Amino acid sequence: MIERHLMKLRARDEISPEEEAAIRASVSGTRRVPADQLVARAYERLDACTFLLSGFACRAKDLEDGRRQITELHTPGDYVDLHSFTLKYLEHNVLALSDCELAVVPHAALRKITEQLPHLTRVYWFATCLDAAIHREWELSLGRRSAVERMAHLFCELQVRMGLVDLVDREGEAVAYQLSLTQAELAECLGLTSVHVNRTLMQLREERLLEFRSGRVTIHDLPGLRAMAGFDPAYLYLDREPR
Amino acid sequence: MARFYFHLFNGLGSARDEEGREAPSLEAARSCAVEDIRSIISGDARAGVVDLAGWVEIADERGRHLATVRFEDAVELKLPKGGA
Repeated sequence: MIERHLMKLRARDEISPEEEAAIRASVSGTRRVPADQLVARAYERLDACTFLLSGFACRAKDLEDGRRQITELHTPGDYVDLHSFTLKYLEHNVLALSDCELAVVPHAALRKITEQLPHLTRVYWFATCLDAAIHREWELSLGRRSAVERMAHLFCELQVRMGLVDLVDREGEAVAYQLSLTQAELAECLGLTSVHVNRTLMQLREERLLEFRSGRVTIHDLPGLRAMAGFDPAYLYLDREPR
Repeated sequence: MARFYFHLFNGLGSARDEEGREAPSLEAARSCAVEDIRSIISGDARAGVVDLAGWVEIADERGRHLATVRFEDAVELKLPKGGA
């Protein structure tokens, strides 16, 4: 059940059997959240964190008139709100983009981990630092990259993150992964609008780099897409070393 | 709420909207199209070429054409006196 969460952690460090047992013991139950429903509401007091077992979720901030910016996408295995352990409430929403299954970890169980398992505590600290690194990369995209570079970069990022949890398929020369996002949601990630997303997808398709259809991304030319995006995966901290 | 489809036509070709979006009225859908066009024009301006020859066609769920919004109608152009 929590295999993808362990895969994500083990991509960057060793997790001992004792630590794995503590992670399993920290989960008090599971929660299903249907697509388009909130996993956590901004400014609501939280007493548990959740990590994704299956589905896609995002962090999003809204303006009063409904304009929305998605600030990070979450893939299976990710804690979506680990920072709520110290913050106690979040200043953003966590939204299910597809039907999601989540593992619930009470703050009390995380407190116990921080008191008893310093290395696992550092691994989780690393996870929140990694989220911050992803936010910084998105900031760079939103502020400086062109629409097509920004979109190419996001698809490159997801290819790496989905690959870590064994959710990328090889299709001959191409690689492919599920991405249950509408064009409108993609627009909210990229600071664009739906039609602009559609046109930018058309551009990537015409250059034979990538296709996005019916919730599936097919990358025909990964080196080409990375070159177009100026993508360097170093910000995803992929080295496996003691934290 | 009704579902509207926004098909784009411009110098690059056309991009059909297979997903659609909900809007309370055709007027609201027209505003969406204007926002869409402004987003594209702003990206083009950053790249140095603004193409105002395109348009967005709004269709309903049965594919019936409801309205056309032209790029040139989505922005007000203030040109220097005596300019084109």
